[in-house]
Amino acid sequence: MSTEAQTQHYRVDPHARFRVMDDEGIFVLQGAGEVLVVNEIGAFIVEQLKSERSLDEVVAKMTERYAVDADRARSDVGSLLDELLRAGAIIRS
Amino acid sequence: MSALTIEFAGSRYRFGGLHPEQGHLVRSRFEALLCRDETPPDVDVDVHYVPNPGAFMRRPPGPVEYRIGVVYREAAIAVAGIGFTANIDRTPFRAQMQTCLMDEWFLDGFENLFRVIACYRLFQEGALVMHSGAFTDRGRGFLFCGRSGAGKTTLCGLAAELDLPILSDELNAVMPSGNTFELAAMPFAGDFGGVPKRHPPYPLTGLLGLAHGANPSVDGCSKAEAVSRIVASCPYINADPTLVDTLTSRAATLIGRVPLKILSFAKDSRFWSVLDNEYRSADATLSR
Repeated sequence: MSTEAQTQHYRVDPHARFRVMDDEGIFVLQGAGEVLVVNEIGAFIVEQLKSERSLDEVVAKMTERYAVDADRARSDVGSLLDELLRAGAIIRS
Repeated sequence: MSALTIEFAGSRYRFGGLHPEQGHLVRSRFEALLCRDETPPDVDVDVHYVPNPGAFMRRPPGPVEYRIGVVYREAAIAVAGIGFTANIDRTPFRAQMQTCLMDEWFLDGFENLFRVIACYRLFQEGALVMHSGAFTDRGRGFLFCGRSGAGKTTLCGLAAELDLPILSDELNAVMPSGNTFELAAMPFAGDFGGVPKRHPPYPLTGLLGLAHGANPSVDGCSKAEAVSRIVASCPYINADPTLVDTLTSRAATLIGRVPLKILSFAKDSRFWSVLDNEYRSADATLSR
């Protein structure tokens, strides 16, 4: 993820619905009728994006919650955000 | 002008304003599901013939597969396809169809619109209409959901070779019944088409997602995956912003009562002994 991307903020696309079930998360992408499932950590990350957050803010939440160093968290969060952006589940703002 | 009423899965749909040619086409297709017109319908659909092809999506020169356009608005759902447009009012629930068609293309448009109307009507009744294949065996109903390419038609073909009666390889309805669910046939079939006929409801014994595998097996999956597979299989409703939350909750209720399992299968009939054994064991457990 580029430096520019790191300064941007992200949030759940207003046309997507997200719900946690037994720790996993489900995205329903309205309009397309597509559905995505994310694991427990992915669900935690997406929960943070219910309000607008920067990558740094999400990484900080990750390192508070899980025993993971900041570099690893940044890499994992960045990858997930890229995937969710491509899927249309979250947006940059 | 003529009117006719079609009944299935516990709901009656009255189509009025049909030209004789249109009525003949619909009667021929849905003959087994027609009921007397004086029976009060649950849904009224007014058909208006508009002899102006320029006002509608044009017919292609040859055979074509296409998707109808659906726009979800707060008060109504707008539908458009080749040679027709329609509006489905949410409250009261009713529909109006405008069409320039009277030949076999009319039946295509009619069925395309009828699918949408039926999905909404049955959702109102607590049901889930799913892109799915379904067959029965000695009073047990098996439904396997999935989108195009998941293997629904392949599995229906394998089941038909075993003389297991096929309900549909395209759309089936799962209806609440007390504390459990029943499987109801829909008159919209894909490759296992033919003329629709009446089926009784079947207890929903097996609710399955599909996977391809060298050897057949039935495995569990997480709640989130099960719900996602069901939601992804419910056409129109899963794209409607006003209903998607209810749909997700209803899918969770369904899998709480009839767990969704993943059937892995190859293109051979071995799947049936695995499936039969899986649910025979379940019946035995329940009866003890």
